[in-house]
Amino acid sequence: MLRFGPDDGPVVIASLPLFEEANRTRAFTVSILRSLADENIGSVLPDWPGTGESLIETRDARLLAMRAACEALVEQIARPAYAVGVRSGALIDASAPMDGRWHLSPVEGEAVLREMARTRPGIDVSTLMQATEAVELAGNLLSPAMLADLAGARVYDGEHVPQRVVRLESDPRTADLKLAGAPLWRRAEPGNDLALAKHLADDIAAWVRSCEG
Amino acid sequence: MRAVLGDVLGLSPARVAAFDAETPLFGALPELDSMAVASVLTELEDRLGILIEDDEVDGDMLETFGALTAFAASKARS
Repeated sequence: MLRFGPDDGPVVIASLPLFEEANRTRAFTVSILRSLADENIGSVLPDWPGTGESLIETRDARLLAMRAACEALVEQIARPAYAVGVRSGALIDASAPMDGRWHLSPVEGEAVLREMARTRPGIDVSTLMQATEAVELAGNLLSPAMLADLAGARVYDGEHVPQRVVRLESDPRTADLKLAGAPLWRRAEPGNDLALAKHLADDIAAWVRSCEG
Repeated sequence: MRAVLGDVLGLSPARVAAFDAETPLFGALPELDSMAVASVLTELEDRLGILIEDDEVDGDMLETFGALTAFAASKARS
Protein backbone atom coordinates (compact mmCIF):
# COMPACT_ATOMS: atom_id res chain seq x y z
CA MET A 1 0.00 0.00 0.00
CA LEU A 2 1.34 3.43 -0.93
CA ARG A 3 0.64 6.47 1.26
CA PHE A 4 0.96 10.11 0.31
CA GLY A 5 0.49 13.44 2.05
CA PRO A 6 -0.50 14.47 5.58
CA ASP A 7 -1.57 12.02 8.33
CA ASP A 8 -4.63 14.01 9.32
CA GLY A 9 -7.64 15.57 7.67
CA PRO A 10 -9.65 13.86 4.94
CA VAL A 11 -8.05 10.91 3.19
CA VAL A 12 -8.48 9.78 -0.38
CA ILE A 13 -8.68 6.01 -0.84
CA ALA A 14 -7.73 5.32 -4.44
CA SER A 15 -8.58 2.21 -6.46
CA LEU A 16 -6.87 1.28 -9.69
CA PRO A 17 -8.90 -0.50 -12.36
CA LEU A 18 -9.03 -4.28 -12.27
CA PHE A 19 -6.69 -6.51 -14.31
CA GLU A 20 -4.50 -5.19 -17.12
CA GLU A 21 -5.79 -1.63 -16.89
CA ALA A 22 -4.21 -1.40 -13.43
CA ASN A 23 -0.72 -1.64 -14.94
CA ARG A 24 -1.59 0.97 -17.53
CA THR A 25 -2.88 3.52 -15.02
CA ARG A 26 -0.70 2.96 -11.94
CA ALA A 27 1.93 5.61 -12.71
CA PHE A 28 -0.80 8.06 -13.74
CA THR A 29 -2.79 7.45 -10.55
CA VAL A 30 0.34 7.86 -8.42
CA SER A 31 0.93 11.21 -10.18
CA ILE A 32 -2.59 12.29 -9.21
CA LEU A 33 -2.02 11.29 -5.58
CA ARG A 34 1.35 13.08 -5.42
CA SER A 35 -0.30 16.24 -6.72
CA LEU A 36 -3.01 15.84 -4.09
CA ALA A 37 -0.29 15.62 -1.43
CA ASP A 38 1.11 18.91 -2.78
CA GLU A 39 -2.35 20.33 -2.10
CA ASN A 40 -2.18 18.95 1.46
CA ILE A 41 -4.65 16.11 0.98
CA GLY A 42 -3.52 12.69 2.13
CA SER A 43 -4.20 9.50 0.23
CA VAL A 44 -3.62 5.77 0.16
CA LEU A 45 -3.34 3.41 -2.78
CA PRO A 46 -4.10 -0.03 -1.31
CA ASP A 47 -3.25 -3.35 -2.95
CA TRP A 48 -6.74 -4.85 -2.68
CA PRO A 49 -6.86 -8.64 -2.11
CA GLY A 50 -5.68 -10.39 -5.27
CA THR A 51 -4.13 -7.26 -6.80
CA GLY A 52 -0.65 -5.71 -6.85
CA GLU A 53 1.52 -6.85 -3.94
CA SER A 54 -1.33 -8.74 -2.26
CA LEU A 55 -0.42 -12.28 -1.19
CA ILE A 56 -3.73 -13.58 -2.52
CA GLU A 57 -3.41 -15.22 -5.93
CA THR A 58 -5.20 -13.56 -8.84
CA ARG A 59 -7.19 -16.75 -9.37
CA ASP A 60 -8.61 -16.36 -5.85
CA ALA A 61 -9.44 -12.67 -6.27
CA ARG A 62 -13.05 -11.70 -5.62
CA LEU A 63 -14.60 -8.29 -6.16
CA LEU A 64 -16.68 -8.88 -3.03
CA ALA A 65 -13.48 -9.44 -1.00
CA MET A 66 -12.03 -6.20 -2.38
CA ARG A 67 -15.20 -4.38 -1.36
CA ALA A 68 -15.02 -5.89 2.12
CA ALA A 69 -11.36 -4.82 2.43
CA CYS A 70 -12.32 -1.30 1.36
CA GLU A 71 -15.07 -1.18 4.01
CA ALA A 72 -12.62 -2.38 6.67
CA LEU A 73 -10.01 0.18 5.64
CA VAL A 74 -12.45 3.10 5.90
CA GLU A 75 -13.44 1.96 9.39
CA GLN A 76 -9.83 1.47 10.44
CA ILE A 77 -8.61 4.84 9.14
CA ALA A 78 -11.22 6.76 11.15
CA ARG A 79 -10.80 9.95 9.08
CA PRO A 80 -13.22 11.46 6.57
CA ALA A 81 -12.76 9.13 3.59
CA TYR A 82 -13.23 9.91 -0.08
CA ALA A 83 -13.03 7.27 -2.78
CA VAL A 84 -11.13 7.97 -5.97
CA GLY A 85 -11.83 5.20 -8.47
CA VAL A 86 -10.33 4.91 -11.93
CA ARG A 87 -12.41 2.91 -14.46
CA SER A 88 -13.42 -0.43 -12.87
CA GLY A 89 -11.73 0.75 -9.65
CA ALA A 90 -15.04 2.58 -9.16
CA LEU A 91 -16.68 -0.81 -8.47
CA ILE A 92 -14.54 -1.41 -5.37
CA ASP A 93 -15.80 1.41 -3.12
CA ALA A 94 -19.51 0.59 -3.58
CA SER A 95 -20.20 -0.83 -0.12
CA ALA A 96 -17.73 1.22 1.95
CA PRO A 97 -18.99 4.03 4.21
CA MET A 98 -17.36 6.78 2.14
CA ASP A 99 -18.00 10.49 2.68
CA GLY A 100 -17.95 10.90 -1.09
CA ARG A 101 -16.95 9.22 -4.33
CA TRP A 102 -14.99 10.68 -7.24
CA HIS A 103 -14.74 8.46 -10.30
CA LEU A 104 -12.72 8.81 -13.49
CA SER A 105 -14.45 7.17 -16.49
CA PRO A 106 -16.23 4.57 -14.32
CA VAL A 107 -17.42 1.31 -15.91
CA GLU A 108 -19.91 -1.31 -14.74
CA GLY A 109 -18.92 -4.93 -14.15
CA GLU A 110 -20.65 -6.21 -17.24
CA ALA A 111 -18.61 -3.87 -19.48
CA VAL A 112 -15.43 -5.21 -17.86
CA LEU A 113 -16.50 -8.77 -18.66
CA ARG A 114 -17.35 -7.85 -22.23
CA GLU A 115 -13.94 -6.30 -22.80
CA MET A 116 -12.13 -9.22 -21.20
CA ALA A 117 -14.13 -11.75 -23.22
CA ARG A 118 -13.28 -9.89 -26.41
CA THR A 119 -9.58 -10.73 -25.99
CA ARG A 120 -10.40 -14.44 -26.49
CA PRO A 121 -12.02 -15.28 -29.83
CA GLY A 122 -15.06 -17.52 -29.47
CA ILE A 123 -15.78 -16.46 -25.89
CA ASP A 124 -18.54 -14.11 -24.85
CA VAL A 125 -20.12 -13.08 -21.58
CA SER A 126 -22.71 -15.86 -21.67
CA THR A 127 -20.00 -18.55 -22.07
CA LEU A 128 -18.13 -16.95 -19.16
CA MET A 129 -21.22 -17.21 -16.98
CA GLN A 130 -21.32 -20.98 -17.60
CA ALA A 131 -17.67 -21.51 -16.60
CA THR A 132 -17.15 -24.11 -13.90
CA GLU A 133 -13.44 -23.50 -13.48
CA ALA A 134 -11.09 -20.50 -13.68
CA VAL A 135 -10.92 -18.90 -17.13
CA GLU A 136 -7.80 -17.22 -18.46
CA LEU A 137 -8.55 -13.83 -19.98
CA ALA A 138 -5.81 -11.45 -21.09
CA GLY A 139 -3.29 -13.14 -18.81
CA ASN A 140 -5.57 -13.25 -15.74
CA LEU A 141 -7.18 -16.33 -14.21
CA LEU A 142 -10.73 -15.43 -13.22
CA SER A 143 -12.65 -17.84 -11.00
CA PRO A 144 -16.34 -18.52 -11.63
CA ALA A 145 -17.00 -16.63 -8.37
CA MET A 146 -15.13 -13.56 -9.62
CA LEU A 147 -16.95 -13.74 -12.95
CA ALA A 148 -20.27 -13.83 -11.08
CA ASP A 149 -19.20 -10.91 -8.84
CA LEU A 150 -18.41 -8.84 -11.91
CA ALA A 151 -21.57 -9.76 -13.80
CA GLY A 152 -23.73 -8.08 -11.19
CA ALA A 153 -21.34 -5.33 -10.12
CA ARG A 154 -22.57 -1.77 -10.37
CA VAL A 155 -21.01 1.53 -9.44
CA TYR A 156 -22.57 3.04 -6.28
CA ASP A 157 -25.41 5.33 -7.23
CA GLY A 158 -27.01 6.36 -3.94
CA GLU A 159 -28.34 9.90 -3.65
CA HIS A 160 -27.24 10.85 -0.18
CA VAL A 161 -23.48 10.72 -0.54
CA PRO A 162 -21.63 13.23 -2.75
CA GLN A 163 -20.53 11.77 -6.05
CA ARG A 164 -18.58 13.25 -8.94
CA VAL A 165 -17.92 11.69 -12.32
CA VAL A 166 -15.14 12.93 -14.60
CA ARG A 167 -14.68 11.67 -18.15
CA LEU A 168 -12.55 12.46 -21.16
CA GLU A 169 -13.95 14.75 -23.83
CA SER A 170 -13.93 11.83 -26.30
CA ASP A 171 -16.45 9.97 -24.11
CA PRO A 172 -20.09 10.87 -24.96
CA ARG A 173 -21.50 9.60 -21.63
CA THR A 174 -22.66 12.11 -19.03
CA ALA A 175 -20.19 13.51 -16.52
CA ASP A 176 -19.83 16.38 -14.07
CA LEU A 177 -16.61 17.41 -15.79
CA LYS A 178 -14.98 16.52 -19.11
CA LEU A 179 -11.29 17.00 -19.81
CA ALA A 180 -9.16 16.58 -22.90
CA GLY A 181 -6.77 13.64 -22.82
CA ALA A 182 -6.02 10.17 -24.13
CA PRO A 183 -7.44 7.05 -22.43
CA LEU A 184 -4.23 5.72 -20.86
CA TRP A 185 -6.10 2.59 -19.70
CA ARG A 186 -6.37 1.41 -23.30
CA ARG A 187 -2.73 1.74 -24.15
CA ALA A 188 -0.64 -1.44 -24.23
CA GLU A 189 2.49 0.38 -23.04
CA PRO A 190 1.91 2.07 -19.66
CA GLY A 191 2.05 5.84 -20.11
CA ASN A 192 1.51 8.96 -18.05
CA ASP A 193 0.04 12.43 -18.55
CA LEU A 194 1.33 14.76 -15.86
CA ALA A 195 -0.72 17.74 -17.02
CA LEU A 196 -3.97 15.74 -16.92
CA ALA A 197 -2.98 14.24 -13.55
CA LYS A 198 -2.51 17.76 -12.15
CA HIS A 199 -5.88 18.88 -13.53
CA LEU A 200 -7.61 15.89 -11.98
CA ALA A 201 -5.85 16.39 -8.63
CA ASP A 202 -6.98 20.04 -8.61
CA ASP A 203 -10.54 18.88 -9.26
CA ILE A 204 -10.40 16.22 -6.53
CA ALA A 205 -8.91 18.67 -4.01
CA ALA A 206 -11.54 21.34 -4.69
CA TRP A 207 -14.33 18.76 -4.53
CA VAL A 208 -13.09 17.18 -1.26
CA ARG A 209 -12.84 20.65 0.30
CA SER A 210 -16.37 21.53 -0.83
CA CYS A 211 -17.68 18.26 0.66
CA GLU A 212 -15.87 18.96 3.92
CA GLY A 213 -17.54 22.41 4.02
CA MET B 1 -10.61 6.81 -36.24
CA ARG B 2 -7.14 8.35 -36.37
CA ALA B 3 -7.56 9.59 -32.79
CA VAL B 4 -8.67 6.15 -31.57
CA LEU B 5 -5.73 4.37 -33.23
CA GLY B 6 -3.31 7.03 -31.98
CA ASP B 7 -4.65 6.90 -28.42
CA VAL B 8 -4.95 3.13 -28.14
CA LEU B 9 -1.80 2.10 -29.97
CA GLY B 10 0.32 5.00 -28.76
CA LEU B 11 1.13 6.10 -32.33
CA SER B 12 2.41 9.60 -32.98
CA PRO B 13 -0.03 12.13 -34.50
CA ALA B 14 2.27 12.37 -37.54
CA ARG B 15 2.13 8.63 -38.07
CA VAL B 16 -1.67 8.36 -37.91
CA ALA B 17 -2.06 11.50 -40.03
CA ALA B 18 -0.19 9.68 -42.80
CA PHE B 19 -2.71 6.79 -42.83
CA ASP B 20 -4.86 6.55 -45.95
CA ALA B 21 -7.59 4.13 -47.02
CA GLU B 22 -5.02 1.63 -48.31
CA THR B 23 -2.81 1.63 -45.20
CA PRO B 24 -2.68 -1.98 -43.98
CA LEU B 25 -3.52 -2.46 -40.28
CA PHE B 26 -3.93 -5.93 -38.77
CA GLY B 27 -0.83 -7.98 -39.44
CA ALA B 28 1.10 -4.92 -40.65
CA LEU B 29 1.12 -2.74 -37.53
CA PRO B 30 3.12 -4.50 -34.79
CA GLU B 31 1.25 -2.46 -32.17
CA LEU B 32 -2.08 -3.94 -33.30
CA ASP B 33 -2.08 -7.37 -31.64
CA SER B 34 -5.23 -9.23 -30.62
CA MET B 35 -5.34 -7.45 -27.24
CA ALA B 36 -5.06 -4.08 -28.97
CA VAL B 37 -7.81 -5.04 -31.41
CA ALA B 38 -10.11 -5.60 -28.42
CA SER B 39 -9.14 -2.18 -27.05
CA VAL B 40 -9.67 -0.44 -30.40
CA LEU B 41 -13.13 -2.00 -30.85
CA THR B 42 -14.21 -1.18 -27.30
CA GLU B 43 -12.95 2.39 -27.56
CA LEU B 44 -14.85 2.79 -30.86
CA GLU B 45 -18.01 1.53 -29.16
CA ASP B 46 -17.58 4.02 -26.33
CA ARG B 47 -16.84 7.02 -28.52
CA LEU B 48 -19.48 6.35 -31.17
CA GLY B 49 -22.14 4.92 -28.86
CA ILE B 50 -22.36 1.75 -30.98
CA LEU B 51 -22.33 -1.97 -30.19
CA ILE B 52 -20.04 -4.21 -32.24
CA GLU B 53 -21.09 -7.87 -32.21
CA ASP B 54 -18.42 -10.57 -32.18
CA ASP B 55 -19.59 -12.00 -35.50
CA GLU B 56 -19.03 -8.64 -37.17
CA VAL B 57 -15.34 -8.73 -36.33
CA ASP B 58 -13.30 -10.38 -39.05
CA GLY B 59 -10.00 -9.98 -40.86
CA ASP B 60 -11.52 -7.92 -43.66
CA MET B 61 -12.72 -5.03 -41.48
CA LEU B 62 -9.32 -4.83 -39.83
CA GLU B 63 -7.27 -5.22 -42.98
CA THR B 64 -6.91 -1.56 -43.92
CA PHE B 65 -7.52 1.85 -42.41
CA GLY B 66 -10.20 2.43 -45.07
CA ALA B 67 -12.05 -0.82 -44.26
CA LEU B 68 -12.09 -0.11 -40.52
CA THR B 69 -13.27 3.47 -41.07
CA ALA B 70 -16.03 2.31 -43.43
CA PHE B 71 -17.16 -0.31 -40.90
CA ALA B 72 -17.30 2.23 -38.06
CA ALA B 73 -19.13 4.76 -40.24
CA SER B 74 -21.77 2.20 -41.26
CA LYS B 75 -22.29 1.18 -37.60
CA ALA B 76 -22.58 4.80 -36.49
CA ARG B 77 -25.27 5.43 -39.12
CA SER B 78 -27.37 2.37 -38.34
